[in-house]
Amino acid sequence: MMRLNTVSPGSIIKGLLNSYAQIFFSDHILFGMILLLITFFDLVAGFSGLIAVTTAHLISYLMGFDKNRIRRGVYGFNCLLVGLGIGIQFEPGFLLFFVVVFAAVFTIFLTIAMQGVIGKYTLPYLSLPFLFSFWLMLIATNELTALGISERAIYTFNDLYTLGGHRLVHVYEWWHSMAIPESLRVYFLSLGAIFFQFNVLAGLIVGIGLLIASRISFTLSLLGFYTAYLFYHWVGADITGLTYSYIGFNYILTSIAIGGFFIIPSWKSYLWVVILMPVVALVTIAFSNIFAVFSLPIYSLPFNIVVIIFLYTLKLRIDPDPGLAEVYIQENTPEKNLYSFINSRSRFGLLSGNSIILPFFGKWNVSQGHRGEYTHKEAWKEAWDFIITDEKGSQFKDRGDYPENYYCYGKSVLAPSDGWVESVTGNVPDNIIGEVNVHQNWGNSVVIKHTDYLYSAVSHLQPGSITVKPGTMVKKGDVIGKCGNSGRSPYPHLHFQIQQSPLVGAPTLKYPLSYYIKYGKDTLKLCTFEIPEKGDLLSNIEQNEILKNGLNFLAYKTLNFKVNDKRIKWEVQIDPFNNTYLECQESGARAYFTFDDYMLYFKFFKGSRESLLYYFFLAFYKIQTGFYQGIEVKDLITPNYIFSKSRLFLQDIFAPFFLFLSAEYRMQYISRDNELDPSKITLQSEITVKSFGRSFSGPKFEIILNTDGIEEFKIIDRDIITEAVCIRESTS
Amino acid sequence: MEKKIFERPYIKKIRAGMPSKFGKPVKIDPLPFIDDLPVEELIKQYGSPLFVISEKTIRETFRKAKMAFETRYPRVQFAWSYKTNYLDAVCRIFHQEDAWAEVVSGFEYEKAEKNGVAGNKIIFNGPDKSLSDLKKASENDSLIHIDHFDELYDLIEVAKKMDHKPRVAIRVNMDTGVYPIWDRFGFNYENGDAWDAINRIVRSEKLELSGLHCHIGTYMLSTEAYRRAASKLGELAVRAFHRHNTLIKYIDIGGGFATQNTLKGAYYQGYDTAPSFDEYAESITSALLDVNFPDNKLPLLILETGRALIDDAGFLLGTVLANKRLSGGNRATILDVGVNNLFTSFWYDHEVNPVKDTSDHFEESTFFGPLCMNIDVIRDAISFPLLRKGDQFVIKRIGAYNMTQWMQFITYRPNVVLIDINGSTHVIRKMEDLNAVTAGESVPDHLQKI
Repeated sequence: MMRLNTVSPGSIIKGLLNSYAQIFFSDHILFGMILLLITFFDLVAGFSGLIAVTTAHLISYLMGFDKNRIRRGVYGFNCLLVGLGIGIQFEPGFLLFFVVVFAAVFTIFLTIAMQGVIGKYTLPYLSLPFLFSFWLMLIATNELTALGISERAIYTFNDLYTLGGHRLVHVYEWWHSMAIPESLRVYFLSLGAIFFQFNVLAGLIVGIGLLIASRISFTLSLLGFYTAYLFYHWVGADITGLTYSYIGFNYILTSIAIGGFFIIPSWKSYLWVVILMPVVALVTIAFSNIFAVFSLPIYSLPFNIVVIIFLYTLKLRIDPDPGLAEVYIQENTPEKNLYSFINSRSRFGLLSGNSIILPFFGKWNVSQGHRGEYTHKEAWKEAWDFIITDEKGSQFKDRGDYPENYYCYGKSVLAPSDGWVESVTGNVPDNIIGEVNVHQNWGNSVVIKHTDYLYSAVSHLQPGSITVKPGTMVKKGDVIGKCGNSGRSPYPHLHFQIQQSPLVGAPTLKYPLSYYIKYGKDTLKLCTFEIPEKGDLLSNIEQNEILKNGLNFLAYKTLNFKVNDKRIKWEVQIDPFNNTYLECQESGARAYFTFDDYMLYFKFFKGSRESLLYYFFLAFYKIQTGFYQGIEVKDLITPNYIFSKSRLFLQDIFAPFFLFLSAEYRMQYISRDNELDPSKITLQSEITVKSFGRSFSGPKFEIILNTDGIEEFKIIDRDIITEAVCIRESTS
Repeated sequence: MEKKIFERPYIKKIRAGMPSKFGKPVKIDPLPFIDDLPVEELIKQYGSPLFVISEKTIRETFRKAKMAFETRYPRVQFAWSYKTNYLDAVCRIFHQEDAWAEVVSGFEYEKAEKNGVAGNKIIFNGPDKSLSDLKKASENDSLIHIDHFDELYDLIEVAKKMDHKPRVAIRVNMDTGVYPIWDRFGFNYENGDAWDAINRIVRSEKLELSGLHCHIGTYMLSTEAYRRAASKLGELAVRAFHRHNTLIKYIDIGGGFATQNTLKGAYYQGYDTAPSFDEYAESITSALLDVNFPDNKLPLLILETGRALIDDAGFLLGTVLANKRLSGGNRATILDVGVNNLFTSFWYDHEVNPVKDTSDHFEESTFFGPLCMNIDVIRDAISFPLLRKGDQFVIKRIGAYNMTQWMQFITYRPNVVLIDINGSTHVIRKMEDLNAVTAGESVPDHLQKI
């Protein structure tokens, strides 16, 4: 918590630079610097922009707005645009900078207000504050004759000369003499125009900066621009409108926003970019005509209108298409958003807050799964029926004429998760085999409330077997009754369903079981957040105390390792959003994880790949806390955690469509010193790197845990073995 | 036309119609096949008498037992009771099915080691453990179940010289409502000896008290007794935690489950009285689930049942040697199977099946073995159809105890054949010959010449 509240010079500078990069939805420091440089192509504009941002940040800090947001630059960029706009529009002088300061004051308040108004719909305010503020300034400054309209931007050579002398002018001329296609020229002009720099050179530099910051944003900028360009040609609209007003950036920004920034980049988001570009064009043409009446340029208005409306409509989807997913945790580059999305979709696609286990001991079969052929239909389609079968697949012994002959009959039924007993029906008699009691369809049932909108129900229990009462608090795995044959149950079985409301027989909810083991002929498979299917043979996981304790990194504890006589100290931290992470005190690297007794997952890593924490992140990427020899825990590692930036360059461009670089994590349980009460457990994990369909073995790890926790882990990377031994300090 | 078997004329009261108070007339079905292999062929190939073990039955029975417990209790482990049948092949089937080993002597311990069972998966029971046995078991991290205080003191001495604490359990005997109480093994629960032993173990600080063990009897027909035993052990475990902060890792309920063999003198047939695995499991696990174990951590439930897992898989094949009339006119049949091979005939009225179809005419007979000993009686007063010299028969449910308690007496012990799951046969113990029997003998010089 302290960390977030401190204001260091570093964070102030970061905030300023981010205000520049944020215009392209980025927080890339180098990109921010490049953009800062660009604004100084016009010294006056550059200064007035910087003054505006500084003013905005000063006010934000003084008034106590969210420091995290300030640092991300989301409060500054609108002021920057206003500052730049005013700077370019008017003659330099004390009055100009005076006006800039107050324009910035107004803009920051407008920004905050917009955040309050639009933010509650979880929509971005984009550059709306800039638009309103700048239009007002333009109208207001009509009266301020002392400011004097600048003509600088019109005479590019003069500007360049003052900035870089002869040499820069030459460069510019050389550049112009090149046979650069008209469309590309307009593209660069449009890029520069975002910063009120109406020249190709500025646009080129912005383009390079954009490419460095994000390959996807760059690709999208081209896609958006050229779609619009072709549309203008096709409909025969006045292309000069695009050239002279330089409002081509509307297409670029819309494309980046929709194609990759607010939506996870995918072929669908790219398709929407193509579909929306003509819309932006129409909006642009229409609004240009309307605003011409007031002699006001429309600037980025079309971008704002289209993006905000489109994002809003996405939020109103009832059955959202996972292929067009909104970004929930903004990491400020489309690449990171995409990789995190792939990471979370493939790894935590069905991750749920409440872990649900199977409501029985031992191995049971699914006799009817979701959308089953007998009774799991319509509102009750997402339920399971469980039975026990023997070696030969029979669910009963002898002739199966009596409920007692059925293996599942009379077996304990467990609470699938912690909660409170909501309702109990306990006196419906068991049926004769083959008969059903449709009057008391659910038979003897227990409904347990886990959270306000999450209930589980078990049905067809034995009369008189239920051991809990409404209101009883149950823990996961507590015995609550016995499997029976009551209600609509022709033969003994256990009906299990998850529902959103407390009534017996409420409609079911599609909800995965957190962890279970699926048995094949000679194989075991660990299933995480999956939905068992008909015919599956399943059991709960038996947790191992050593793994369960050793992998439970309690908050604010430290982990100390010794590597080649060097000591490395990590702290377990929790951020205000309840994310837990390990932080290396020396390198500042962070590895984010979640742990829920059954599984340790590492989710994100930030920091140096030379650090021990990076290898720890890879070694402990996913570990399940039951010791099962023969089970392999597998997971996908997205390429951004494995490959260098240069190797990722090409992948980034194609990432929305397919990954040709990836990595797989595999973990196996190697040995334990004894089965009953192990004091030492060895695990092995390894990374397999996949590039264009070929596999290469990456680093391997050996992990040893004992009753105190992690004992050591070994990194075997290209024949170099590094041993990291955990050092335990006395708790005092 | 085949020549009909001659049957001596006799007079029998007609009892057609309603069954009498003894039920319907008995019909004994022939048993011509074991696991689809013809008995005649087996005898032809491997001789008579012949022990046959069905691997399929072992595995099926084991899985049935395992399922009965595992669907009722989350943590279950079986340990194969070596004394019940320690033929290596048999033991290994159980170990393949993930059973540990339960041994009661240094010899059995060696056998388990030879079968490749890890030291920490051997449970060492019994009242006779030598100092060297204790030392070896401690070094191998086996689970040592202490039977009496003298052994406890021995073990503490052994442990003093060890660098790790041997893992131990105490065997507890108790009143479970079944009499006589098997109080000759272990420490008594009711008189406080068991609690005393726990205190001494914990106070010694040389041993790690891992588990509690009981074995309430043999051929137990009452499942309630197990419920009481499990409750009492659970109560001890809770007490040990509250008093000493010692977490009991496992509760070993022992064995003693009955099979469908009929005990001598029993009024009802075994298959009417023997509880199923499900019934035993229900009593044991429900009792354990009712115990309020510390931290809600259920201890591992270990089962050492032997008889119930192997009895059904064993068959003893034999041939009729002769028929004769005793002095009272009673019929007697002399078989080539005697008490030297079928030790359990002292306890059970074994079920004997002919191999071929027989006539419907029964006569009360006595089955004698081939030994030149008057006690060699396999069945007395069995109502059986007439058998002739050379006829073959099968004695069912003899897998338990016979292949360990058999005697090399008067004659050699026969072949033991295993029928594997694919129906192939394997001799897993060869018939003895003179060398095998006399291998350990030596003749002093002065007796060399006779």
